[in-house]
Amino acid sequence: MNVAWWCSSTPGQIWTWRYTPFLGVWVVAATFIGGYVLAHRRAGEPLDRRLTRRFVAGVVALMVVSEWPIGQLGVGYLATVGIARYVVYTFVAAPLLVAGLPTWLVDRWFPLASRRGRLLSVLTRWPIALLLFNLVLFATHVPVTIDTLKVTQVGSFAVDVLHLSAAVLWWWPAIRREPERNAIHEPIRAFYLFATSVLMFVPAAFLTFSPLPLYGLYELAPPLWLGFDPVMDQQAAGIMMNVIGGLVLWGIIATLFLRWAKEQTDDDEQVRRARDARVLERMAALADEERSATARPESTDQPTRPARP
Amino acid sequence: MTHRSRSRPRRQLAVALALLAVLVAACDPASSTALVAQGLEPQADGWRGLPLDRERTMPDVTLSTTDGDPVALDEAFLGTPTLLFFGYTSCPDICPVHLASIASAMDTARVRYDALDVVFVSVDPERDTPQRIEEFLANFDRRMVGLTGELDVVEDALTQLDLPGPVVEGPDPRGEGDLIGHPAQVIGFDAQGRALRVWPFGARRADWVADLPRIVEEWSS
Repeated sequence: MNVAWWCSSTPGQIWTWRYTPFLGVWVVAATFIGGYVLAHRRAGEPLDRRLTRRFVAGVVALMVVSEWPIGQLGVGYLATVGIARYVVYTFVAAPLLVAGLPTWLVDRWFPLASRRGRLLSVLTRWPIALLLFNLVLFATHVPVTIDTLKVTQVGSFAVDVLHLSAAVLWWWPAIRREPERNAIHEPIRAFYLFATSVLMFVPAAFLTFSPLPLYGLYELAPPLWLGFDPVMDQQAAGIMMNVIGGLVLWGIIATLFLRWAKEQTDDDEQVRRARDARVLERMAALADEERSATARPESTDQPTRPARP
Repeated sequence: MTHRSRSRPRRQLAVALALLAVLVAACDPASSTALVAQGLEPQADGWRGLPLDRERTMPDVTLSTTDGDPVALDEAFLGTPTLLFFGYTSCPDICPVHLASIASAMDTARVRYDALDVVFVSVDPERDTPQRIEEFLANFDRRMVGLTGELDVVEDALTQLDLPGPVVEGPDPRGEGDLIGHPAQVIGFDAQGRALRVWPFGARRADWVADLPRIVEEWSS
């Protein structure tokens, strides 16, 4: 059985349905989950089911698209699968990982006063995170980057690490709710996410509308079937980035926006109820006062209050 | 915390990273054999195809079309520039990639098949029946010419072009018989039957789109 560290393109290697385990994927998954569980044990904190589910789902999403066969197909044979991997890394795995971290664990791993904490604090300020994320998006989809880095396991691993890191930093201010952790709120959050969904159109448009294959790696790879056309594959990849990536992102934007709108409505409702309760209280007090005034003898000199509506 | 205890985790991290680097390097078959997938470099004269250092002509052999008609290579394609490629229909990589690139580039560059012949010669006559060759070429473009012949005739043609003969390389990992080693370049002949340039494997569509109009323009009689 062939064993490799990470999926990479080996030019000329014929695709077969023979399982090739990627050790690195298992090492990374074990490190993520092991680190998460160990941190809970050391801190004596119980695992929060909801948060753990999110974190584990994020790791599983990473594993599914990095392990054979999706990892290998995406890196060495089909641009469509390559872009699907990027979409899952960025819009599924990263937000789940960020959302799965309890506040105390973030404080433990990145204490605010530490160098790590300060670095995270700088990188997750929303303008910086937005810039970094889009820089990585553009730089890692330039043909020369793909054709140079993805032909080695180290390069391919580095690109995947870069994608995940940039996505985690980008999601951080949108998902974390701690004010001291650069949390942003509507309408800035909606703009922040929307801006990326628009910027993503640029590389997606290049993929969709280029008349020639952009990536030599996919163009010269042994075809999976006869008559396979790399240009069609590339167009499908562009549509995948635009439509599927866009749909996932817009779905998340809509969910966050609706949740925010509901919170706003709930807050308004609370304020209204409190105000109504105060008014009722006041009216009851006035009614009491009036009752006690009418019960008193008429000889008193106190002026009567006009009745309130 | 002492300096010593502070530096221990860092040392452990450095060792772990070094081990990881060794592991990655050890199981990286791609790093030593990677082909550059960035196409052919433009030559000084603007062509992407590589010039031949010695003059060669269209081989003097007779092959058969998929209809069974005899074809004298050195006569049948005189008068039109020709791209000649030796391959086989079970080829999993080089043949389909080359032929798909040429077919797509002919379309993009709007080069007509009556202005440029694209000829595929089978190096695997045992498996490549005329019908199989036709079906194979239909995946790219039916206007490509498929030829077959006895193995010794094909080998003779390759020898005349100073190219190595076909070699059985071992079983195809997809379970489709044997893989056959064969020349990976496409050879370009002008209308007089002179071989002028070759396009090795790695030539991309952009390379063909650049060269095909020049072939028609500069190599026609």
